Amino acid sequence: MLKDKTRHLGRRDFLRYSAAGAGALMAPGLVRQARAETATLTMHTWSAAVDTVQSHLSAFTKETGIPVNYGNSPWAQYREGMVAKFVGGAPLDAMWVSDAWLPEWAEAGWIAPVDEFDSLMKYNAEAEDFCTQSMTYDGRQYGLTYYTDYMAFLYDEAKLKEAGFDAPPTSWDELVEQSLVMKEKGISDYPMMLAMAQESWLIEFISTLVYSHGGRLVDDSGSAVMQDEKEGAVEALQWVVDAVNKHKIVSPACVETGELAGLKSFAAGNHAFAMVAKYRLRMLNDPAQSQIAGNVKQAMMPQGPNGSHATVGWMRFHGMSAQAAQDKARAESTAKLIEWFGGKSDGAYTFQKLLFLDIGAGFGVKPLFEDQEVRAAYDSYGDVDMIQAQQALALKKDTVTPWFGEWNDTNGSAWQSAILGNVDAAGAVKKSADLWNELKDSY
Amino acid sequence: MLFLAPVMVVLGAVAVFPILYSLYISFFSVKLTRPNRTPFVGLKNYTDLLGDAAFWSAVWRTVSFSLVSVSAIAVIALLVSLLLNQEFRGRRILSTILLVPWAIPYVANALMWKWIYDSSYGALNGLLYQLDFIDKYMVWLGDQDKTLFLIANAFVWKEVPLATILLLVSLKSIPADLYSAARVDGATVWQRFVHVTLPAMKPGFMLVMIYETMMAIRHFDLFFVLTEGGPGSASHVLSWHIYVETFRNLSFGSGAAMSYLLAIATFALSYLFIRTLGRKL
Repeated sequence: MLKDKTRHLGRRDFLRYSAAGAGALMAPGLVRQARAETATLTMHTWSAAVDTVQSHLSAFTKETGIPVNYGNSPWAQYREGMVAKFVGGAPLDAMWVSDAWLPEWAEAGWIAPVDEFDSLMKYNAEAEDFCTQSMTYDGRQYGLTYYTDYMAFLYDEAKLKEAGFDAPPTSWDELVEQSLVMKEKGISDYPMMLAMAQESWLIEFISTLVYSHGGRLVDDSGSAVMQDEKEGAVEALQWVVDAVNKHKIVSPACVETGELAGLKSFAAGNHAFAMVAKYRLRMLNDPAQSQIAGNVKQAMMPQGPNGSHATVGWMRFHGMSAQAAQDKARAESTAKLIEWFGGKSDGAYTFQKLLFLDIGAGFGVKPLFEDQEVRAAYDSYGDVDMIQAQQALALKKDTVTPWFGEWNDTNGSAWQSAILGNVDAAGAVKKSADLWNELKDSY
Repeated sequence: MLFLAPVMVVLGAVAVFPILYSLYISFFSVKLTRPNRTPFVGLKNYTDLLGDAAFWSAVWRTVSFSLVSVSAIAVIALLVSLLLNQEFRGRRILSTILLVPWAIPYVANALMWKWIYDSSYGALNGLLYQLDFIDKYMVWLGDQDKTLFLIANAFVWKEVPLATILLLVSLKSIPADLYSAARVDGATVWQRFVHVTLPAMKPGFMLVMIYETMMAIRHFDLFFVLTEGGPGSASHVLSWHIYVETFRNLSFGSGAAMSYLLAIATFALSYLFIRTLGRKL
């Protein structure tokens, strides 16, 4: 029977086989077309909340049918690694960006503005102002928030009571007074914890001290004003120098103390006051991780004589690569991905909420403060009204420019040199300002 | 020749080309964050460096670190090798233990010393406090007068074993007849050491000096992990300067120029050692 069938090729068989042959010939084209419609995107982040990111990506692919290749690398090497990717033309559509790198990456043409996507811009109405400002460079917005936080002033309530104080200090001078009493009573050798080691956090500590003293490092035109004796950074640095060398309320080891080491030292009960990222509050009130759990409270950032309770805020965001922006279909897919993470997915700020509940990472969208789950989580270790009030006074870093990376190391060294007594506060800040202006001119 | 071709191609791709290419970019203003602006600047990267006070400060710190480290390594390795050259009970165990620091990776070594030197919970403070040498915990790496010496100490700890082995090999190669003849001639222990042992150890010393000087001048790991060039600029040595310029400032042109100056300095020093010590061999 089989032989008969193969021997006689009827009209129907001929049409069937012809159609199959034509289909086979067209298949690669169809596959290519199908691939183009659901082109695989590439997303790269630093190695934080990797499981949460992956599960949220899976949900995105399930919802939209857009597959995403996901990669991550450690924060410490992230900037250098990404620059190598950009320069080498590695495939990349979406990535996490720190506000500190935005001008550098935007100027180099590696990332693209997203403000032409109304689907993304609508979220600005619900975002904190400093977040939107931190994602904006040269009048263009480059993404949607991934997480945001600010430098908080925390204190150990038990030590405060032991020293006989009912309320935390509201000014830096008051902090000195309370600290001296604590030293005298033997409550703490160095009541104030400041982490001034040369690391990526240092600019946040410096900016907070300067802002709360009513100063600026750089003015709106981008010129250095830090050297200004009255409205710059000199007063703030002088306070640190005195705190270490004159009052001895801050350890001289602060120049070798990084943010994490300082946090551990505070958690071990060595200090009464600390300036740390707000999201650390959760860990500090966790009995499994902190010896002063339950006693750590937040107060408004102390203010200098001419200052305010202002602090520095920072944020990380989801950005779009320039190569993705060049292809309309790819750009639209990437915008969907950015919205899924930085905006709403399934009608809610799911990713930002997940990050908050998972690792305590702060969010830059105001409606989440009204979310009952978020409020309950905050209330378990902090005062949500205080958290929100301080966040409202957060300012973006004024030093974020294309030459920030080149200036930052020298600035950190200059502040350390003043703390070590090698140079006076005014001289250290002037050195930093001179380099700033030199770099500004060269760009 | 045909069989060598694949190896030549691989070597050319992974060694010769990068070296020549880095030399090439050292004549350009290559800054990764300005990918569309990389003008040819000739020797400007080199001349700018030679006129930069921060560069010379880094050179001076590198020289200080190298002098202290290499001297300490040479002296300690000599003493330990002389000890291990003697026959005594437990010599083999001691030799094995001595190799442990050498077997520890550089970064692990640096992390270990970071814990030891920590001003809040470091082992050094704990030890000195328990022995009543100090009445409160001291700041070690944060004290700019101590930083470079403390890093040198960590470097010496890691490098002494290899130097000891190199010197021990020299010691083992000295014929016993020489000592016997010296004894017959009435030479004292000190005279035998000065006139027999030390001259025979010169090849080993030359190796130790060249190798350890090269390692000290180029050393990076301890500075990266322990201090990141701080506090202030107390440990801002040449290798750290190159790292900051190349990988933080992303200035590959001037970073390459700096690397070439470091390579030339290392080569010149090695040549000097070979000419001075090698001539007497």
